[in-house]
Amino acid sequence: MIRLTNNTKILTQEFEYFAPKTLAGALDLLYRYQDKNTRILAGGTDLLVKMKTIGLDADYLISIKEIPELKFIDTDAGLRIGAAVPLSHIEKIEKVREKYPALYESIKSMAAIAIRNMATMPGNICNASPAGDTIPPLIAYEAKLKLVSKRGERTVLVEDFITGVGKTIIKRDELLTQVIIPEISKNSGGAFLKKGRVKADIAKINLAVCLKREGEICKDCRIVLGSVFIKAVRAKKAEELLRGQVINNDLIIKTAKKASEVIKPIDDIRSTAEYRTELARVMTEDALKLAWGRAGGEL
Amino acid sequence: MKKIEIEFIVNGKKRRIFVKPNDLLINIIRNDLYLTGSKYGCGIGECGACTVLLDGEPVLSCLTLAVTVNGKEITTIEGLAKGDELHPVQKAFLENGAVQCGFCTPGMILTATALLKENPNATENEIRDYMRGNLCRCTGYVQIVKAIKSCVAEQKSD
Amino acid sequence: MEKQQYEFIGKQFDIKNIGKVTGKELYSSDINIPGQLYAVVLCSPYPHAEIKKIDYTEAEKMGAICIGPDDVPDYLYNERIVSIPEKTYRDRTVLPKDKVRHIGEAIAACAAETEEEAFAALKKIKIEWGKKWKPLIDLDEAIKDDAPSIYDCVYLGEEKVDIKNNIACERNIDVGDIDKGFKEAEVVVERTFNTQRIYHMQLETKSAVCVPEADGGITVWTTSQGIHNVRILLGNIFNIPLNKVNVKRITLGGSFGSSIQMNSITPICVALALKAKRPVKLVSTREDDIYDHSKYPLKTILKIGAKKDGTLTAAHCRVWVEIGGHNIQAYPYLGCVAGWFASLYKWKNIKYEGTAVYTNKVPTCAMQGYGNPQINFAVESLMDILAEKLDIDPIELRLKNYVGKGDEFWGQGPTVRSIIRSCGVEEMLIEGAKLAEWEKRTPPSKKKGELRRGIGVARGFHTSGTGGPNPGEVIDYSGATIKINEDGSVDVLTALMDHGGGTWDAVAKVVAEVLKVPYEKVGIYNEVDTRTTVFDVNTHATRGVYCGCGAVKFVAEKVKEMLLNYAATLFKDLPENLKLACNKKLGQAVIYPREIPENYMTLGEIAEHAHITSWGAIAYTSTLRQKNCPPCFITHFVEVEVNTKTGEVKVPRAVIMGDSGTIINPDLWEGQIIGAFSRGLGFSLLEETKYDLNSGGLECNGLITDYKIPTTVEMPKVDNIIVRSAHTYEPTGPFGAKGIGEAALSSVGSAVANAIYNAIGIRFYDLPITPEKVLKALKRKEEEEKESRRRVGDKVD
Repeated sequence: MIRLTNNTKILTQEFEYFAPKTLAGALDLLYRYQDKNTRILAGGTDLLVKMKTIGLDADYLISIKEIPELKFIDTDAGLRIGAAVPLSHIEKIEKVREKYPALYESIKSMAAIAIRNMATMPGNICNASPAGDTIPPLIAYEAKLKLVSKRGERTVLVEDFITGVGKTIIKRDELLTQVIIPEISKNSGGAFLKKGRVKADIAKINLAVCLKREGEICKDCRIVLGSVFIKAVRAKKAEELLRGQVINNDLIIKTAKKASEVIKPIDDIRSTAEYRTELARVMTEDALKLAWGRAGGEL
Repeated sequence: MKKIEIEFIVNGKKRRIFVKPNDLLINIIRNDLYLTGSKYGCGIGECGACTVLLDGEPVLSCLTLAVTVNGKEITTIEGLAKGDELHPVQKAFLENGAVQCGFCTPGMILTATALLKENPNATENEIRDYMRGNLCRCTGYVQIVKAIKSCVAEQKSD
Repeated sequence: MEKQQYEFIGKQFDIKNIGKVTGKELYSSDINIPGQLYAVVLCSPYPHAEIKKIDYTEAEKMGAICIGPDDVPDYLYNERIVSIPEKTYRDRTVLPKDKVRHIGEAIAACAAETEEEAFAALKKIKIEWGKKWKPLIDLDEAIKDDAPSIYDCVYLGEEKVDIKNNIACERNIDVGDIDKGFKEAEVVVERTFNTQRIYHMQLETKSAVCVPEADGGITVWTTSQGIHNVRILLGNIFNIPLNKVNVKRITLGGSFGSSIQMNSITPICVALALKAKRPVKLVSTREDDIYDHSKYPLKTILKIGAKKDGTLTAAHCRVWVEIGGHNIQAYPYLGCVAGWFASLYKWKNIKYEGTAVYTNKVPTCAMQGYGNPQINFAVESLMDILAEKLDIDPIELRLKNYVGKGDEFWGQGPTVRSIIRSCGVEEMLIEGAKLAEWEKRTPPSKKKGELRRGIGVARGFHTSGTGGPNPGEVIDYSGATIKINEDGSVDVLTALMDHGGGTWDAVAKVVAEVLKVPYEKVGIYNEVDTRTTVFDVNTHATRGVYCGCGAVKFVAEKVKEMLLNYAATLFKDLPENLKLACNKKLGQAVIYPREIPENYMTLGEIAEHAHITSWGAIAYTSTLRQKNCPPCFITHFVEVEVNTKTGEVKVPRAVIMGDSGTIINPDLWEGQIIGAFSRGLGFSLLEETKYDLNSGGLECNGLITDYKIPTTVEMPKVDNIIVRSAHTYEPTGPFGAKGIGEAALSSVGSAVANAIYNAIGIRFYDLPITPEKVLKALKRKEEEEKESRRRVGDKVD
């Protein structure tokens, strides 16, 4: 009876609402209600849609929008972005645009301005959609997440955080408070590419790459593809082909082909496995060339 | 469910009302404040018909809990004109044939005003990109883009 | 006839639409009545299942008013009553009595103090289901002998009709001698084409508000393209005298054909209001709306014959349409498809066979073109194939064979025909070709590189209304009341609907032009209803300007006659010696004896005199049936850019030529053409409502997250979309005007497909042409070319 759960005009779930003003307050609530059906409201653009369309339930809703401690942007060493910062504020940071183009491009590619004024990066990450746009660049940039609870705090790689469709390793009393992106070294280049049915869309396929250049050699690289598996995946076998090698067109073509071989896409309403496989190759090639150029490399 | 009192500014006027935690901003605006210019189009953030300005930034009222706007300022399409004087974007929409059925128009105009405030010299491509979340089934957008272009302070090509 | 100089026709006035830019415009969903209940609808989760019992006692215990199949009249109806009764198939009741026939079909409804309460009550309704059948999704499955019957019988007018193999209706038409025609042919081409189901995606979901009145009547606001048909249907269904059913005319948030028929939620809202004895408001959710209506798909097997010089000799057109769970008039649809097909080119000998088949999907209805874009895709693709085979330029082949001035046009199937009196086809093809730089077009074999550009042409048309010298199977007339107020301003009361394309604006201009009253003094307001207006059939079939304004002009001329008679008394002269003119300085219409303009009286003075001397009102009410159905023509030159690495198709540029005779609203005329172009791009490249074969549900689950329509970014830039008008005058139209609405869409898909062929040398026969399909076809072509090179190589070795 799928149809009965739908009414996108209203929210039928009844819940208690909290808007703590401090991080400690939020953590208290999370601790207190960890055995209950408690959900965190940041932008609400995924949460409320799920509540309306698939009947996702909540007994307690904790808004983190009122917590000043989560609204910071720190660009001193790398990037540290608080959990309550909307995506549109991140895309306006000069350092993001200049040094982290893959992240910038991924955010700009998402939905539309009104959504980006509401949605947050941790929201996108915790939603753990295989097509989540910020996830591939965050993995490519080796970003970490700070998870805080009353018991303490820990820092995990985005890459290790998501385990499957909608699944993460976050504990019920934990709050993702900030995204930490390491400083990008000189001679690095990143790129993000995405295909959708229209410009404002969930990705048929998306991918991010980040390369470190030393002369003509690719010192290190990360190739991360989204919407081609149960979660964003690194094409490690393809990365291995590049690492430590002199970069040329042939090698990029070979690497791109390898990347398209290691993914496991499916047919769904947005696209086909066949198309995704082919596009993985085409887009990896384009992204590597773009990133290599941005790293100051020549072909 | 217990109702919560919230205070916020709507189109320049302070309002104090009681809402349930699960009340959506769109329904409070339309049903309780009788500001029916904000439209329900999809309820899931895909069409932009319910766009309002929250502290000056376009957001979707269909995905906003009313409780969360406590202490904030909201502008709906009804609050854009200054008395009888239409906002330049409203005027431009009329002059450029940018309005057909009109159901998307309030959201379109509010989004366009935010764009022009943020980027008064927006190029055509920047306009097209910024407006991509506001769906219109009637006009094919071209005259909407033209209307917004006509409000740009300094015309630049892409 | 010469083109005339007009004061108001063809001019732009920015005061229209002021309500829409300020948020003040009211739509059905904005109507709030004190004490209203909010309603929600329970939709079927099954595509084809027997309803044994519906128990809503638990829902009632929560305070909700509920209705199920037993609470609605047994009256069998068709929600679209544009056709005459004996050609109208009737297969439905307000709620289904025996079984559901598609997922999303309404089976019960609740009303309560709030929408939340109504929805909570709805969840308590218990349904006992009987037999469930596997859904019939594909047409080929549905016509099999062992396929479950979706209907055993339906009614055609008053006649009972048995349904066999789920065939809802058929239509076969022969013109000339098809065998002789193909014998004469030197070249024959035949292909099969498919156009898909798409969703109207009008921004306003279907809505209704109903107030039960003390006298047993009802007042209704609802999304409708024709309020009088809603009145008649509601009166018939609920057995209320037609004078006690009052349907309000109210602005429509888009429709594109989906409210020609009375919307399925409208009688549900009425049934709830009658039971509750309170006002009820029912606004569909988007997910219910997408499960409520769809564009007709079409499968076409088309075969055409021609001489080597390009002269056509015969065409055999076999079409199939699967219509979903209800028949919202597939019979006229099949007739119209025949008409659009027959009127595109001089085939000389025609065989047409059309079959409509029930399936367990969302019921299909008109969507901008009523079969025209569907059949146009087949014909205009095949004309390009023929042109290539004959080595004739596609434009030349079209010029040689098009149906034009002096020829017969089938405006609404085989029974509504009239002679074409204005035609801009030649001008549009020739001038359009210049603007589009057609002569620079190169064949696909000459294109190289990753991004390949191509240009394609296709032409189409639509009827303007459904009138003919003889009334056919379609009801077509419009009417108005026009009255002059005591200050010389004018009120126009008409049921004619405006979809947003400017029909009301055109009405005001036509009245202003006839009565020489300044545009801003002509009021055409929303506070009218079926009680204060005379009948108007519907704003469908691109008839708003031609038929609607035609009737308005007819009434305005009667008022002008009255006015001149009154003035003649005042001037002590004969009416024919007086002249009516617009005095812009005074902002008034004035009347003066011919050649003596300084001796004028203003319309206000005359009206006031008539008032204080008790001469009576200067007003007139009447209706008019147009006796022609002139085609408005369109020609699309579309440029595409195909990315051969990703299969993506972009549309950087388009030249669109339109022929609407005199253009009344230039900005909205252009707007309708560009709007149709965006919907055409969705139709040709992007949109499809796909079904899951097992569950019978939409793959998008009713959510537009997975039903994309074009956005700003997918359209060409402002300067790259060139829209021009042909220089024509329609002698039978108001001030020489014809329609535009549906014509504007008819050839978009065909032009895009032809352009893609020109870019990459691959012909697509199924819409939409998605990147997935393009890339797959490119790979296949590459393989085939490799294979053939290898074979050639083998031979050489």
